[in-house]
Amino acid sequence: MKKIHNIIIGLMGLLGLMGCTETVKDAKLEAVQPQIYPDYLGVTIPVNIAPLNFCMADETTQCIDAVVTDRHGHELHSQGDESVDFDLDDWHEMLGQNRGDSLSVTVSAKYDDGWHTYCPFSIYVSPDSIDYGICYRLIAPGYEVWSKMGIYERDLSCFDERALIENTQFEGCVNCHSFNRGNPADMSLHIRGPHGATLLRHSLGGDLQSLTAYNTKTDQTLGFCVYPYWHPSGRYIAYSTNATSQLFHSADPNRIEVFDTASDLQVYDVEKNELLLSPLLKQDSVYETFPVFSADGRSLYFCAARALLSSGEGTGVGPLDSLHYNLCRIDFDPATGSYGNRIDTIVDAEAQHKSVSFPRPSYDGRFLCYTLSDYGQFSIWHHEADLFLLNLSTGESRPMTEANSEDTESFHNWSTNSRWLVFSSRRDDGLFTRPYFCHVDANGVVGKAFMLP
Amino acid sequence: MKHFRIPPTLHHLLFTVLFGVAVFLFFGLAYPHHLHYQEQYQLFLFDSNYVCEIVRQPGGVADLLGRFCTQFFLFAWVGAAIIALLLSTVQLLTLRLANYQSSIIHYPLFYGLSFVPSFLLWLFLLDENALLGSVWAVLLTQLAFCGLLRLPDRWMRRILIFVAFFLLYWIAFGGSHYYRIPNTFPTLFYAAWFSAMIIPLLMWLVVRGKKSENAQQQNNSCVPSVASGQRSSALTSHLISLTSYLLVVVVMGTFIWKNANFKAERVMQYDFMACHQQWNRILETVNAEKPNNQIGVTVQNLALAMHGMLADRLFNYNQNGIAGLLPDVQSDATSPMPTAEAFYQLGMIYVAQRTVFEAQEAILDFQKSGRCYKRLAQTNLIIGSYEVARKYLTALQKTLFYREWADETLPLLGNEEAIAKHPEYGRLRQCAYNNDFYFSDHVTPEMLESLYFSNTDNRMAYQYLLAYCLLTGDRDRFNLYYSQRGTDR
Repeated sequence: MKKIHNIIIGLMGLLGLMGCTETVKDAKLEAVQPQIYPDYLGVTIPVNIAPLNFCMADETTQCIDAVVTDRHGHELHSQGDESVDFDLDDWHEMLGQNRGDSLSVTVSAKYDDGWHTYCPFSIYVSPDSIDYGICYRLIAPGYEVWSKMGIYERDLSCFDERALIENTQFEGCVNCHSFNRGNPADMSLHIRGPHGATLLRHSLGGDLQSLTAYNTKTDQTLGFCVYPYWHPSGRYIAYSTNATSQLFHSADPNRIEVFDTASDLQVYDVEKNELLLSPLLKQDSVYETFPVFSADGRSLYFCAARALLSSGEGTGVGPLDSLHYNLCRIDFDPATGSYGNRIDTIVDAEAQHKSVSFPRPSYDGRFLCYTLSDYGQFSIWHHEADLFLLNLSTGESRPMTEANSEDTESFHNWSTNSRWLVFSSRRDDGLFTRPYFCHVDANGVVGKAFMLP
Repeated sequence: MKHFRIPPTLHHLLFTVLFGVAVFLFFGLAYPHHLHYQEQYQLFLFDSNYVCEIVRQPGGVADLLGRFCTQFFLFAWVGAAIIALLLSTVQLLTLRLANYQSSIIHYPLFYGLSFVPSFLLWLFLLDENALLGSVWAVLLTQLAFCGLLRLPDRWMRRILIFVAFFLLYWIAFGGSHYYRIPNTFPTLFYAAWFSAMIIPLLMWLVVRGKKSENAQQQNNSCVPSVASGQRSSALTSHLISLTSYLLVVVVMGTFIWKNANFKAERVMQYDFMACHQQWNRILETVNAEKPNNQIGVTVQNLALAMHGMLADRLFNYNQNGIAGLLPDVQSDATSPMPTAEAFYQLGMIYVAQRTVFEAQEAILDFQKSGRCYKRLAQTNLIIGSYEVARKYLTALQKTLFYREWADETLPLLGNEEAIAKHPEYGRLRQCAYNNDFYFSDHVTPEMLESLYFSNTDNRMAYQYLLAYCLLTGDRDRFNLYYSQRGTDR
């Protein structure tokens, strides 16, 4: 009998027969703000973002109701049994009318004992818009085997997602994808597997583009090109080459350690089809990785650590936890494609027994955002990893407290106007990464982060 | 004009029932673990997003119906009944389509042929990678044609046939989800579908030929010979029907028996028994016939350890070196699961979790697995990753047969006291490693040693440690651990 009941409930759910449309009445007024998921309380959002739909964090809710109001007396209403789902056009109209102003959201939730109305919370609509979309790889957080995966594009103003490439189209996988300042006209994409190559799309001016598949392995470098970053001119791409290994933790929440046993840097000249090498960037005693160009293209930032003596398999966490990467910089002359003759340490993380990864300079040259973790360079698997903001004019670093959580914050990128930062966070469950956004204003003040709607 | 003049006669129905019973008994008795195997590599969710995701693909409706039915394969006899019903229906619809121009009674040789599509589908389903959506694809096509042939208006029918081709492409034939391995052409499935279409068509052509021949004869002789001939040859017709039926049954039945993979069935049986922790049944099975495959040996050793007999009776059974104890994890969906069960029972929770996760990701048609979801929820619960466990449990709540378990398990999340008291999770928490170290793809004696010394009450770890030494011939370590056990006690 219970099975039959389950089937009926399941089928009703399938058909979407159960709904919630009722007036909030006799509601008990709560003195606190609601606990909603995702947490959108007090966030700063771009004017062109998709509707911030949400549900109650409490699973016992029978129905949820939300009313968004502005100073002009406009009102936007939504109600649902599991979550609120604002009308797309009405939402954008309201945001457009309140650019640079705050919205007030009043949430009511129905429980067994009736309706409860919570204290309103505000959402600030920044006049700074965000790019039309983001690009990401969707893959289960695995170790060595992967299922269906691909690179996808998501329109940030609505909920449209489309696959750019999926591994159902070929045998293998896709990973590092990089655009020149968010412009897909210049793109580098690695495809791994039996037909692996680096796919390079390069703008030739106007509507002309070239699309070429490269074998980036040479006899003078460690192997295939790995982490890419475009030079602002579009002529060069900085790449690392990494001999990467992984080991598993027997009893640690971090589960896995991905590390290099060797790594170097080089810059690829797209026009000449040449790799530009420097002995300073391919030292055996140093692991160099994550190269990025500065906003003016005259500096190359990267992470560097003293090389390990052994990998540490078998007994204790061993030497891997002594692997600390600093943030370094070397001059780069885009006219000649030559490097400077000195490496500067910009952030001495080793002195703090910490490690820097994923440096990302803002495109306006003001800041550099990086991840700081306890050790190593694959901070995605480190629960303690947090984002830090380096002010490039003062040289001061500070944790991005407004964006960070108790769990992993890691891979990140700037919007083209350098006012928004997108980063991956594992704050929701400690394992699955989700994209979060935060606003960084002209003075470097960071707004509370919010999850991609 | 009445198109379906004579329904299948009673003895025709009896033959269909006999066929259905044969299918039912075959899958229920000889092939039950193939059905369990199918079920464990999918996760059917009563969720509109899940349904839409499948249905929007070409061939999605057939795929969805196939997946819906496959969830019942958790109970092999129910699965066998579903397959029997579907294959019998395919046969009846083939017969119905063949009956369109004239009753098959007049052309009894065709009767046996009406079983060919069903037999071909049966043959196809012997392969563990064949998916039930394939049977639905054939069935939906037949149903569509039956419906179209009932339409009286010829023009309307032509228009609808045109539309039906596109519709059928979308609901049944556009996709490729009939076989689990991508880029593999399922020849048998297409042969079945083709035969389901071509056999009725062949009969129509023969009927037409006969009719024009008879008309010619009538014009020439003006003698009404056909009707009287039908009456006089009724018995002969039944005999020919029976003969054609028996011929197809014997030939196709032999093919099926010869092509059935009973070796794989045996391996799947071991995996099933380990999955359901049927330790006594495993020992009974290995005592009756000692396994000679890696999965069988791994499961056998696990069952011995669960009974506390691994170290003592290791060599009473077939062994495959350390590969039969805790084999290296391969990148496929099947072989890691029994090893993961051993890791789990030993208390190597992180290793078990990784192994199960990898196995799930290796499922060839990118589906998720109810069995894997359940184990991932358990391992995350044991290590205290409650939110990740909740994610899996919430998904399992949308299933038919894992829902009850998920409902019972959800209250445990975050309830440390209840977990500590739980007979399985509490024990495994106590058995877990208390020191962190790195490991790679191979299980080393140091890993087992560390596990044992994390909790010397972990008898499983101790047995595996001794067995490891015995299988590698490491006497020194064996003596050391053996004496250590005595000291601890």
